[in-house]
Amino acid sequence: MSESIKLTIDGQSVQISEGQTVLDGARKLGIEVPTLCQDDRVDNAGCCRMCLVEIDGQRRLQPSCAFKATEGMNVQTASNKVEKHRKMLLSFYLADHAIDVDGLPAERGVGNTLRQQAQTYGTGPTLPAIHAPRVARADNNPYIHFDPAACVLCGLCTRYCDEVEAVSAISLAGRGAATTIATADQIGLLESSCELCGGCIAVCPTGAMTEKPSLENVSAKAEQVRSTCNFCGVGCQLDLHVEDDKVVRVTSPPPGTTVNDGNLCVKGRFSYEFIHHKDRLTTPLIRNEAGQLVPTSWSNAIQVAARGLMGVRDKHGTDALGFVSSSRCTGEENYLMQKLSRAAFGTNNCHQCAAT
Amino acid sequence: MFGAGAMTNSIPEIRDTELMFVIGSNTTEAHPIIAMEMKKAVHRGAKLIVADPRGIWLSDVADLHLQLKPGTDVALLNGMLHVILHEGLYDADFVAKHTEGLEALMASTVDTTPEWAEEITSVPADSIRQAARMYATTKKAGIYYTLGITEHTHGTDNVYGLANLVAITGHLGVKSAGLNPLRGQNNVQGANDAGASPIYYPGYQRVDNPEAQARFEAGWGVPLSPDPGLDLNIMMKQMGKSIRGLYVMGEDIVLSEPNANRVEEGMNALDFVVVQDIFLNETCRFADVILPAACFAEKDGVFTNSDRRVQRVRKAVNAPGEARADWEIICDISRACGYPMPWYNDPGEVYAEMAALTDQFAGITHERIAAEGGLQWPCTSPDHPGTPTLHEGAPIIGKIGLQPTTYRSSAELPDELYPLLLSTGRTLYHYNSATQTRRAEGANELQPVNFIMMHRRDAKMRGLRHGDAATVRSRRGEIVAKVDVSAKMKSGCVWMPLHFAEANTNRLTNDAGDTTTNTAEYKVCAVTVEAVQSS
Repeated sequence: MSESIKLTIDGQSVQISEGQTVLDGARKLGIEVPTLCQDDRVDNAGCCRMCLVEIDGQRRLQPSCAFKATEGMNVQTASNKVEKHRKMLLSFYLADHAIDVDGLPAERGVGNTLRQQAQTYGTGPTLPAIHAPRVARADNNPYIHFDPAACVLCGLCTRYCDEVEAVSAISLAGRGAATTIATADQIGLLESSCELCGGCIAVCPTGAMTEKPSLENVSAKAEQVRSTCNFCGVGCQLDLHVEDDKVVRVTSPPPGTTVNDGNLCVKGRFSYEFIHHKDRLTTPLIRNEAGQLVPTSWSNAIQVAARGLMGVRDKHGTDALGFVSSSRCTGEENYLMQKLSRAAFGTNNCHQCAAT
Repeated sequence: MFGAGAMTNSIPEIRDTELMFVIGSNTTEAHPIIAMEMKKAVHRGAKLIVADPRGIWLSDVADLHLQLKPGTDVALLNGMLHVILHEGLYDADFVAKHTEGLEALMASTVDTTPEWAEEITSVPADSIRQAARMYATTKKAGIYYTLGITEHTHGTDNVYGLANLVAITGHLGVKSAGLNPLRGQNNVQGANDAGASPIYYPGYQRVDNPEAQARFEAGWGVPLSPDPGLDLNIMMKQMGKSIRGLYVMGEDIVLSEPNANRVEEGMNALDFVVVQDIFLNETCRFADVILPAACFAEKDGVFTNSDRRVQRVRKAVNAPGEARADWEIICDISRACGYPMPWYNDPGEVYAEMAALTDQFAGITHERIAAEGGLQWPCTSPDHPGTPTLHEGAPIIGKIGLQPTTYRSSAELPDELYPLLLSTGRTLYHYNSATQTRRAEGANELQPVNFIMMHRRDAKMRGLRHGDAATVRSRRGEIVAKVDVSAKMKSGCVWMPLHFAEANTNRLTNDAGDTTTNTAEYKVCAVTVEAVQSS
């Protein structure tokens, strides 16, 4: 697409393509415009109102995420009018929101965009608290927790559920001040079309959607280690959050940066309990004369294993051995297993579980 | 058939496709994130054709659902080939330039009309015609398949059939098109790439090719055998006969291989078994030595995904107790057996050794992946950017030999004693032998026990209701499972997942192998189902 449209944002000139928005132009210039409900993976809805900007010729402020750029447009993203609007809007959000002792939206482990914005742009007058009659249905699903008191009803989770995961399990439900996020018929997530991908948690800008397993025990300071998911063959990139030598949460790198584009499935996001499970093997075992498995030292286990393999070779010939490698292990480990089979034992009897 | 055992195209290309032909792949459950790209393409207006014996999520949004009888793919594909060839919808330019054997393929499909295919597959002839026309006349049309194609005694023919479709329509070397096997496990591609194969060294260099042999003999400093080894299915059948000892790393063969009762007998007949894993599994019952391994979060290395993308695995936490990384254990075993494996400092050095012996990976290093993200092979030098789309310009094999195929029925079909056709697979919540996911509270809550999906008529005939316990029996074994009466099933066909050790579906499955690859026929066997007799 040719970049045929030229506009001016905060006095800087930028060229973008037909159909792109004012927000696209601002981002191209590196100008920060705050958003809550915008995500490149879903259609722009313009409903959180955080991204409003002043456009010459427009009587009102306009949502930059949804407003198409036109030739010669002149935009201001940080005028007095815009700044006043942001403060007032944040005041409204905070009047209906769980706040902490600092008077800011409560921190919930991994990032809270609303809190950051309240800190960055400041708030207007403190408005009387709105006690909206929003109820969260107790839900027995194992992973996803919703707290209406931390929800700004930006609807990003419901649009992700519709447009990206495409199961349409949750939507905005109710009317007026009682509006909340729920399944269409007020049924549990497990009874709905929900696939528990947890995308609603990942996109939520305020932490209203959180992970049940790590609700209590995750601080924002957990170290993150980039790795590759160990389930199916898509190769999703993961950030393993680590605290006290434990994986306490798994998230995706940001959209647009890796093959999974910010998405994860139920297995990748939530099936990490096995890593620290009490059933993990922690010591080598050998079978004793009575046929029982008993713990032993590494040096002994290696000796017994080596003697056993060499014994079969000496008695029946090297092609009496089979080496079963694994598509669950790393490339290097598969390389070494076939090298062991071929170089140490001289047999090509080496295969792996999923050569299909 | 095109010269590389891998997806010809890349996952991110899917969103820009114009048509997807998904066959033998329940993508939303087995590859959820690839399914998201497919949903995005559908959202944008791409056409979707799904061929699957069951109703699946994708078939709900498909333009066409070809609900074929399990094991009749060759007939379906030959029906489609008939339409494309004999209605002149093929890409004559591409065929002339890049393929050979058109006349033979033409001749072999003269009689495979859609009406003939309907008889065998039970898919309406008009739907076959429509699918063929849509596929042939769309430029960016991609085929996506997985084990529903390969786990048959005619799995190779199924793949040939698909490759024929791609080749005659010229849907190769084109962005968002191609022939795309979706790999089932995190590192199936990487394990094959690294030479965990009875016939290939790393990088698909054949063990019976003297040049390759000489290259690896020089690299490893020992003489090597030019005789192809046994594949896994044959190894399983030879246990106690020519195979007397096994070293098993990271696979629960008793749970994962077909005909589990026979596998257990074979394991009992072995002289010596080493198992290396992260949990005690079913195979450990037969082990003489068990070596505790580190899981993916506890070690460094690479996984190679479905679209040939080599990506890093990084150590985030320490392994529990005395467990160690598999690569360290193999090195120690090797040294104790008298072969001096080098003292690698880290897996990066192991990768470098492999890359030096393998042209396709020569440009890939741990350092480059850290700096640039995943690299897609072929990547032949330090400044090679990697290859998102294969066969651009021309097929890498040169001329593609078109492969006529003939429909053969599956090895074991329903009969009077075993009247139902059982197909098997994976669910969204569990993963294969499920030693990992069955230790996740949530997944276990959702799917705690093995189940059998069946049509309501088949259930009713047997006096079974939804939720009842039923005995499922084949010629090889029997297990108990919960009845799931489902509108997704066709009458006569039942379906079970593979995740449950205490009710192992592979006690039922058939270990008959594909005539070329020996891949077992997990997807078709005959069973009988009845209510559990209370004793």
